[in-house]
Amino acid sequence: MNLLMKIKSRSGIMMMSMFVIIAISILFIAIPEGINAQQAEKVFVTHSGAVVKTTGEILDPLYTSATVEFDPMEYLRDFNYGRISQLADGTTLREYTLIARDDEIMEVSPGIFYNVWSYNGTVPGPTIRATEGDIVRVKFINNGEKEHTIHFHGIHPAEMDGVFEPVGGNGGQFVYEFIAGPAGVHPYHCHVMPLEEHIVHGLYGVFIVDPKEKRPPADEMVMVLNGLDTDFDTENNFYAANTIPFYYQHHPIQINTDELIRIYVVNMVEFDPINNFHLHGNLYKYYPTGTDIVPSFYTDMITLSQTERGIMEFEYKYPGKYLFHAHKVEFSEKGWVGIFMVNENKKGIWSEGYGS
Amino acid sequence: MKTKKVYGLKDMEVSNKYSKGKLIASGVIPFAFLIILIAYIFGPGSELLDLGIPLPEITMEKVDFLDSEIQVTVRNTGPIPVEIAMADINDRIQPAAVEPDRYLERYETALVRIPFEWNEAEPYRIGITVEDGTRFEKEIEAAAPALEPSLELVGFFAIIGTYVGIIPVMIGLLWLPFIKRISKQKYHFFLALTVGLLLFLAIDSIEEALDVSNESLAKSFNGTLLVATVVVLSFLGLYYSGEKIVKRAESSKLAKPVAIALMISIGIGLHNFGEGLAIGASVGLGSIAFSTFLIVGFALHNTTEGIAIAAPMSRGKLMIGKLIAMGLIAGSPAIFGAWVGGFVYSPFTSVIFLAIGAGAIFQVIVVIMKWIKEESQNNMSSSAVISGFAVGMLVMYLTSIFVY
Repeated sequence: MNLLMKIKSRSGIMMMSMFVIIAISILFIAIPEGINAQQAEKVFVTHSGAVVKTTGEILDPLYTSATVEFDPMEYLRDFNYGRISQLADGTTLREYTLIARDDEIMEVSPGIFYNVWSYNGTVPGPTIRATEGDIVRVKFINNGEKEHTIHFHGIHPAEMDGVFEPVGGNGGQFVYEFIAGPAGVHPYHCHVMPLEEHIVHGLYGVFIVDPKEKRPPADEMVMVLNGLDTDFDTENNFYAANTIPFYYQHHPIQINTDELIRIYVVNMVEFDPINNFHLHGNLYKYYPTGTDIVPSFYTDMITLSQTERGIMEFEYKYPGKYLFHAHKVEFSEKGWVGIFMVNENKKGIWSEGYGS
Repeated sequence: MKTKKVYGLKDMEVSNKYSKGKLIASGVIPFAFLIILIAYIFGPGSELLDLGIPLPEITMEKVDFLDSEIQVTVRNTGPIPVEIAMADINDRIQPAAVEPDRYLERYETALVRIPFEWNEAEPYRIGITVEDGTRFEKEIEAAAPALEPSLELVGFFAIIGTYVGIIPVMIGLLWLPFIKRISKQKYHFFLALTVGLLLFLAIDSIEEALDVSNESLAKSFNGTLLVATVVVLSFLGLYYSGEKIVKRAESSKLAKPVAIALMISIGIGLHNFGEGLAIGASVGLGSIAFSTFLIVGFALHNTTEGIAIAAPMSRGKLMIGKLIAMGLIAGSPAIFGAWVGGFVYSPFTSVIFLAIGAGAIFQVIVVIMKWIKEESQNNMSSSAVISGFAVGMLVMYLTSIFVY
């Protein structure tokens, strides 16, 4: 009897252990980790057009104007002509002030914060514009912690080159003065070592020298092709035209049919040896460095190395949505992509006020 | 000496109440100081200890390939809270959603849903970028559709589990009549062989647990020490309860082998649960082609587990019902393991189960060693025992080649 009882209790143990194993299995099937929440659903559209619903938050580099710290739409057509005065001999003097900083944290893409180094608080810095032969006087104030300079591409005396005259931080000053030239589009950037670091953090901008005989009126815009290495692994995490990834895709640039469009393009991408610019539904006349009046190419694709730049001119015949992007598709899928929204031209509205 | 002792005893009796309070106080005081220390370190104005820069860290514990969508389970495994800001596939930025939200406290998880038309069997690199721009990456060798629990799949895993777990163990049990008839020396050989088999299984479980923790668990879980701790705890727990079972069984000579065989079955069952997890997970993750060859390998390998149960049982009366029950205890967890591994895989629970299994097997090893020692009158170095042990390891190693 006693033995039977024991055996019974032992098979009981077996049954128990079987039961425990089953129970554990059921538990893991019934309660998977992490996923819960029953909230209001949000909807977003993917790059390929699929519509996705979520109860959580949307992660999309779609930049709403409410969160823009730097507005690429404003930068696009913003030209700084300086404080203008005439010298006794009739020469035009243009005075500019550029202030460098290196402590700002900027939201460069939704939810991603990056320490930018900037001229006048923006990346790229202001577009400085003068006419060939003008005297350009740039008062440079370095409010950063590190040494910075401004190195202009173009023709100027050695001591105005911004290389061997580092300007100390916390209020250091220097005045760059030279005669604007040659006509074209040039970059300016900090030239303090380590150079790559100073450039990729954002210390660069565009310097446009208009020829004495003005170019024909056009809807003019500036596009700096740049990249951001937010995790410092000498590879860009983002690419863009004018800093903010995907910005012009979600906020198309409004232009008109039969209107001359002129883009000053400057490639400031570091790490990657080349960048390029492809336009949809059209071809553009290309003036490398903008130094010649006659275009060198009529194409929809040019390749740009570091600080290589030029002027593009084109007109759209048909209204509608046209992409422009890097045909190095990796770059476009990381932000260097935009849209021209071509509207039917209402004659006369757009044909004045640009390029003057 | 004697007087001193008496004096001491008297003193204790007199001051019993007082010393009890003292005892509690002396136990509590260090804790109190510890709490004060922690409060001081974390308290206001404690910037003193803010040395170094804490870096964010996340771990992508699980990646599921669903219909037109890739889902990533992300855990904050760093020292500071993080915000998930962006997702990419193969270093190309993709719009995505994060549920329930993008703010992750330490050890909190979130599900990142990335709509993406993925292609089966192609490798993918999944990237998650957090708010300071740091990008984390996880590589998937081959995309395979996530398994959704369907009756068909449940059945499929049940069949695999049966092939891998139950049938081989049952076949192994068929050695029982053979072991029953052999001489005492040869019986010792088979008991030692069991120890060899089990030792191999325990090492195998630990290796698997370490592999999983290295691959999918964040460093902050202290993978190696987690495995060590769980192995030891599982060993101690089962050792304690096992001793009780054996003691209760000791009143009848018949029952002791049964008790030992039961413990072996439970240990092997836990191991097979881990094995099932591994199979289910690898089918789910698409990291292996589940070939018939592999099933054959597992089956061959696990047949030896049946011998481990049969060996101690052979000295008792033949109890077919019990034997089958033990075969089920040892083999069927492979089915449950495959279900869990295939449908709700979590690396953390896998590591825990594998480690528990290893601890259980170590406990069984100790029990059998003790038994061999009793049976062989302390002659642990007889040729039968030594060779059995060695052959056990060797057989396991050779059959394991079929599995990898």
